Amino acid sequence: MTRATRISVLVLLGPALTGGAVVRAQDSQFGIRGPGTPGRWESVRSRSTGGAFGPFDPLSALTEAGLADVPQLTATAMQSASYRDAEIAGTITALRGTRFPLLNVAGRVHRRLAIAAGFTTYLDRSWDVTLRDSVALRGTLERYTDEVTSDGSIADLRLAAASRLSRRLAIGAGLHLLAGSTRETAERRFDDTTFHTVQQLAEVRYSGMGVSGSLLLGVAPGLSVIGWARADNRLRATVADTTSAETDLPRMAGGGMLFSPSASVRFGGSVAWRGWARAGAGAFDTWSWSAGAEIGGGRMPFRFGVRGGQLPFGPGATAPTEFAAAAGTGRAFAQGRALLDAGVERLERRGGGLTERVWTALVGLTVRP
Amino acid sequence: MMARRAALIGGVLLAVACVERVSAPGACPSFCPSGQIQIVDTVLTSIIARDSAFRGYVTEPHAPLMLAADLPGIVDGRPIFRIKGFGPTFVLSATDTGAILGADSARLRLTVARRDTGAHNLSLRFYRLPSTIDSTTTFTDLTGPFTDSLVKTVNIDTLLALPGRKDTLTGDSVVVDTVNHVLVLNLKLDSTAGRYVGPTDSGTAAYGVRVSADSLASIALTKSTLSWQWYLRVDSAGMPVARTPALRGAAFASFVFDPPPPPPDSTLAVGGVPSARSILRVAFPRFIRDSSQIIRGTLTLVPAAPVRGAPSDSFVVEAHTVFTDVGAKSPIIVDATRTDTTVVRIGVSDTVRIEVTNLLQFWASDTTRATTLVLRAEQEAASFSLIRFYPSLAQAFRPALRITFVRRFPFGAP
Repeated sequence: MTRATRISVLVLLGPALTGGAVVRAQDSQFGIRGPGTPGRWESVRSRSTGGAFGPFDPLSALTEAGLADVPQLTATAMQSASYRDAEIAGTITALRGTRFPLLNVAGRVHRRLAIAAGFTTYLDRSWDVTLRDSVALRGTLERYTDEVTSDGSIADLRLAAASRLSRRLAIGAGLHLLAGSTRETAERRFDDTTFHTVQQLAEVRYSGMGVSGSLLLGVAPGLSVIGWARADNRLRATVADTTSAETDLPRMAGGGMLFSPSASVRFGGSVAWRGWARAGAGAFDTWSWSAGAEIGGGRMPFRFGVRGGQLPFGPGATAPTEFAAAAGTGRAFAQGRALLDAGVERLERRGGGLTERVWTALVGLTVRP
Repeated sequence: MMARRAALIGGVLLAVACVERVSAPGACPSFCPSGQIQIVDTVLTSIIARDSAFRGYVTEPHAPLMLAADLPGIVDGRPIFRIKGFGPTFVLSATDTGAILGADSARLRLTVARRDTGAHNLSLRFYRLPSTIDSTTTFTDLTGPFTDSLVKTVNIDTLLALPGRKDTLTGDSVVVDTVNHVLVLNLKLDSTAGRYVGPTDSGTAAYGVRVSADSLASIALTKSTLSWQWYLRVDSAGMPVARTPALRGAAFASFVFDPPPPPPDSTLAVGGVPSARSILRVAFPRFIRDSSQIIRGTLTLVPAAPVRGAPSDSFVVEAHTVFTDVGAKSPIIVDATRTDTTVVRIGVSDTVRIEVTNLLQFWASDTTRATTLVLRAEQEAASFSLIRFYPSLAQAFRPALRITFVRRFPFGAP
């Protein structure tokens, strides 16, 4: 077994070995009342720069045009572990989760054409809410404990293609299939056991489609800009072959800038708009931004960045907000055929009286066999 | 170098190793799912119909207990039993048979399975009855013997008060079984009371029991543990010899009582002797059966009269469903998980409520089942207790079902 093969095996088995072989991203209490918590479509390298390099990263699933410069067959996967404190009304609940939010394979099929396939998390729907309350039944106040859970997510399966039309211009397009399922349960236990426990469960399946396109322009040596847009149709939820809900999905658009004054220094920035307000009541259009840098072009660069913006779902009249700072590094192995990226992110979300503070550890493996 | 790399990779993987804890207290409605568990509580008054009562499932000879009671205005119950004899001769050895000359004495072992501890001066009186008693014997048939054939009287309270619970003069004793909560009476009958009449009756003896007390005289005697011991005198080549044959159980054990049970009418009778059952057909609503989860179901029944029986004989009414509904002989499903019960107290006329959640859930889970309820006493013919409910014909007091159910949770909704 060659070194590269060993590393390839590690890429594929790593998440499973650590028990994280579930296609989900970082979840949030803000997503409970909406369709879910939107995932982040960036690789570890881009996440470590706050997402600023995301539009230009061929191994992130945000845009397609960047694929045009993929030199060879490349595969990447990432895993994240989140430690989340949710604080509401002075009560802090510690939550944890391990996710496997990204797998992407890209390669060149023609001198001017590169394609990519993979998946990332579109919406995470994993949560477990417990509630203590009472209800008047048969003339008596009956106390009960509710537990409503959802376990699963909706994945974005992407098939993308990109072409460099000239030295300065590359374009890309992608087709997105949204698919996933959640196992949902609703349970109510009465203190008075004369009332039997309510236990209902369902397997909810989701489906939808989307298309995207992007354009990468080399403005000047070391300076590139990118624009992208995406439109998704409707997310259909079915329970036992019956449609239980249909949610309009957002149109999105964004852009970014990458400045490389030298081979070992890169600065990036991006901005994105997502029209989630069409998803229904309690949903908002969002703006997000990010800025970051990568310093050191050797075998172990240092990356850092910040990002901020809004969350699409939350109570109240305004969208919740979030701010994060991230840092990370990478290490090349096997003569550059394998890359191990690691990062850490500190995130804070606020809105509707809820504050979430999250530490997220990120690990990504990339192989170029 | 390889070890360092392996340690690095291992450390990174360990940092993101599987951890999962997603349960959080709900801060509703802001951070709770929009869908809620919806509970509906409804009283269905017209879904029970075609109800009727039948009597005779367990009769006195087939009851596990013999009921004795002396409750003026309520019931006078008298156990009767017959002990089979050995005939006129007795086998002394393989080659020798001798005529039974008589009995020196006999010993009767009786188990009092149930008594009212509030009854004082509880006494049993034993009467010799004709050896021809059987299942057709009535209370009236035995009026004479129960008047003039008294052979023995035992005061249980006196016996219990004696040292060692043993009367050295009469040879009677009593054992208090605190585990099974019964009294075991060991009674000696002398040669007069325990007379062995070999030539005419083949040694068969029959006795009847009357109970008395200052008040609340009501007991139940276990049939299966009744035993009789003869102490015989047998002629062995002209010499009388004593023989103690094997214990005998009752060849026939039953009880007679007065007044007889009321004749069947339109009310829904449950219990009594012979035991009565009531059958109720339920038109189980589809909207509940098919798309809801039942969390509580209560059958409400209004007694047509105060519950009849001995004050101490509160009894359990069971609600069963049936394998198939063929009327009075519908085979009931005897399964603890599909049986619902309630305790009915004597003398009360309050509405009786039976939690039938298990049965309703069973019907909801298997829609091919007949939605028929059978009400019966848990121990049929084990007490005189009888309750009669208004039937569905009585519009104002008809049986009803109160059902609490949960609608389907809106899974998949944002």
